[in-house]
Amino acid sequence: MLVIQQLVNGLMLGGVYVMVAVAFTLIIGMLNFLNFTIPALFMFAAVLMYATMSGTLPFGNDLILTIFGTEYRWIAGIIVALIVIALVSLVIERFTYRYMKAKYGDATEHALPLVSSLGFLIIFEHLVVSTWGSDPLTAVSPFGQGTFSIGTIIFSVPQIVSLVLSLVVVVMLSVMLKASKLGRALRAIAERPDAATLMGVEVGRIVPVVYVITGLLCAISGVLFTINYTTVDAYVGDTVATVAIAGMVLGGLGNVWGAIVGGLFIGMLEVMSIYIVGADFAKVPIWGMLLLLLVFKPTGLFGHTLIGKGKF
Amino acid sequence: MTVNVLEIAGMHKSFGGLKVIDDVSFDVRKGSRTALIGPNGAGKTTVFNLLTGVYDIDAGSITVEGENITNVPAQDRVTVGMSRSFQNIRLMPHLSTVENVMLGQHARARKLGSLLYPLGMLPRNNWRIAAEEALENAGIGTYPGEVVANLPYGVQKRIEVVRAMVSDPKLLLLDEPAAGLNQVETGQLQELLERVSDQGVTILVVEHDMQFVRDLCDYIVVLNFGRKIFEGTPEEVHRDPAVLEAYLGTDDDTEAANAS
Amino acid sequence: MSGYLESQLIILCLATIYAYGIFLPAASGQLNLGAAGFITLGAYASAWFNASTGAELPVWLSVILAMMFTGTIAFVISFPILRTRGVYMVLATFAFAEVVAGIVINVEELGAAAGMPVDAHLDVTVIVPMTILVILFSFYFMSTRLGLALRSIHDDENVATLFGVNVRTAKVVAFTVGAMLMSLGGSLYGHHYNYIEAQTFNVLLSIYILLYVLMGGTQTAWGPLIGAAFFTIVPEALREIAESAGLTWLAEGRFMMFGAFIVLLMVFRPEGVMTRTLQDRLGGGLFRRKKQVLDETAANS
Repeated sequence: MLVIQQLVNGLMLGGVYVMVAVAFTLIIGMLNFLNFTIPALFMFAAVLMYATMSGTLPFGNDLILTIFGTEYRWIAGIIVALIVIALVSLVIERFTYRYMKAKYGDATEHALPLVSSLGFLIIFEHLVVSTWGSDPLTAVSPFGQGTFSIGTIIFSVPQIVSLVLSLVVVVMLSVMLKASKLGRALRAIAERPDAATLMGVEVGRIVPVVYVITGLLCAISGVLFTINYTTVDAYVGDTVATVAIAGMVLGGLGNVWGAIVGGLFIGMLEVMSIYIVGADFAKVPIWGMLLLLLVFKPTGLFGHTLIGKGKF
Repeated sequence: MTVNVLEIAGMHKSFGGLKVIDDVSFDVRKGSRTALIGPNGAGKTTVFNLLTGVYDIDAGSITVEGENITNVPAQDRVTVGMSRSFQNIRLMPHLSTVENVMLGQHARARKLGSLLYPLGMLPRNNWRIAAEEALENAGIGTYPGEVVANLPYGVQKRIEVVRAMVSDPKLLLLDEPAAGLNQVETGQLQELLERVSDQGVTILVVEHDMQFVRDLCDYIVVLNFGRKIFEGTPEEVHRDPAVLEAYLGTDDDTEAANAS
Repeated sequence: MSGYLESQLIILCLATIYAYGIFLPAASGQLNLGAAGFITLGAYASAWFNASTGAELPVWLSVILAMMFTGTIAFVISFPILRTRGVYMVLATFAFAEVVAGIVINVEELGAAAGMPVDAHLDVTVIVPMTILVILFSFYFMSTRLGLALRSIHDDENVATLFGVNVRTAKVVAFTVGAMLMSLGGSLYGHHYNYIEAQTFNVLLSIYILLYVLMGGTQTAWGPLIGAAFFTIVPEALREIAESAGLTWLAEGRFMMFGAFIVLLMVFRPEGVMTRTLQDRLGGGLFRRKKQVLDETAANS
């Protein structure tokens, strides 16, 4: 029974990774770069959520308290996190993508947005450290420790709600990408950026949309993380993103459904391997498998969309 | 002792079911200046790509100086004495003029000793002197350290020819060397190629400028839709009905005018 | 030399050695985010060869053997890893470093998660000359025909192939030699601080080293030196200034300034600080020989 309990815990943990993995895979699929602002946004949203709930925002705490009261400050936290992250995403888009063209194309050109995104990661981590310090920050969960059990298996209510919520969000997103006009434009850019411009897709206006979507995914995921696990710090994004990247690779780069399955699977794998072989050894099978996958089957387990065509 | 430096026999190539090169055979005589012409999309550049090993051929054979190179990998083909320039300038933008030319020498310097020889640290080494001389002989005197991306188009075009030359080829493949050049530059290019040819190097050139072809070449091969439709002297080519039809049949009026 | 300056110099030297290890493959356009993996291998291998519980070899031999050990592993994995390109290579090297960290942390002989004490001590009088040697070697390496081939691959792999460059071999050599340099850096780290922990060599280290190289510029061998020097000296200098002037905002904000600088550098100078053109301009009278006669075309157009 303990094994099943571990599987359930893993699935819950996977729920956190899913949205971050989808965010990574969207940016890689559309814009072909590994966006390290994703961990920054996840972490920043989680910290904002903590700060709003605990009244430690740099300003506006009293206003929030007057409007929402102590009991419903978590709603204010969600609003603050989503709005701030959406705005920040627009700023990041300007500096990581819009100006990123080397004078003469060459083999390391694709690294430019990667490098500026690392710059943003450093900015945000130190912004949080200098405002809230580098110690772990613990918030009080607004939902307490609600649990129910089926047989001997214990389920945490907030975790179930989060898992369902994240799955609904990403599934809706992927349906939207399939069906809508925006989705078609995005896929056109992903396939051939030059041709997309000719076909009347305004790349300059679509790319910020991609950034805001991925930013919001990170924000929701970060908010849910704070509610469920209550303890956050300036570096929580790095840990989560590392595993989410693994999930994304597993599902195939640029493949949204792959990232969903990969994210859930990697969460379960992490918990199971910690349970079976111990936390320290868990890294070896996970990353060893990914290394093999990247080298021998770069499309991932389900993938067909191999990005990095042409010069890359 | 063969008189043909290049022999192409029954060459076929398809891309995704589309026949791009269909049973093309022709020979290039040693010391000749042969032109490969044809309307747009006839497969001229593809022939070059097949010769230099960018793509493998589906069927047929390629023989250079009596040596069958059909299965030789791309990086080794330059060592059998075949070197090329490109339709769009493909110089290395971050390398200087001299360094680009020294890259052309690579085929002659593949031994470990040559690979580990410090070209940049010793300013007066033989490789560098040879490269600078080749540039000077071609009439390209610039700062040897100048990064090529900053040079004028016509100069870059000629540097490409020089880079191909320094690998010491027996056969020089030039893909539209005169495209985009003005009258003066075309003249300088022609002069350079004539000098190269006088040194005994065989030239196979793809070119749209028919005046240039008539002035330079002594033999012409015509492709259309991946097939060879004619080979002969420049005098004969204008009288050949198949060639006239190929050019007049296309929408490209300027080419038709050029050909007739 | 004061103890403080000496400790900063050591940090700078190690960063420089690591940076050249990442630079060599980067010069041919291969991005390696696995620096931590090779540094770990070097540090632990040399510590084990040297340790009384291990092979009990003299320190110089341990360092060399560690380089050969790391080089062998790098050589073997370079074949599969160099099949990947672009973002796949970044991820594959990153995965490799995670695997190394995961293995080391589980080997009892290497101290597992508690870390491993290192016997022999190497001080600044060894580390500085070794760093200078690495720099000179890298300049030599990039000036050879092999270096020229690597720079050509960076610009246009297909054309380089057509001129006879064996692209695969060149990449494997750059990757392997780079890994050996990082191994050297890792060994020196271990023997200087006399204690190593796998957690020290984490992904953040890999990221920073890659940043040094890309910030400094991959076009010339000056790049890694400038990148490593700039990014180790400036934050430290800012801290010093902030402390002496009592500016708390600067002490806390210097890393944010560092991040902002990275972002702005990528906007305004994506090739990195040092480019080929800049090197020529600075080298001016020293390296450029007589201006040859400009031909008419160049002058006219």
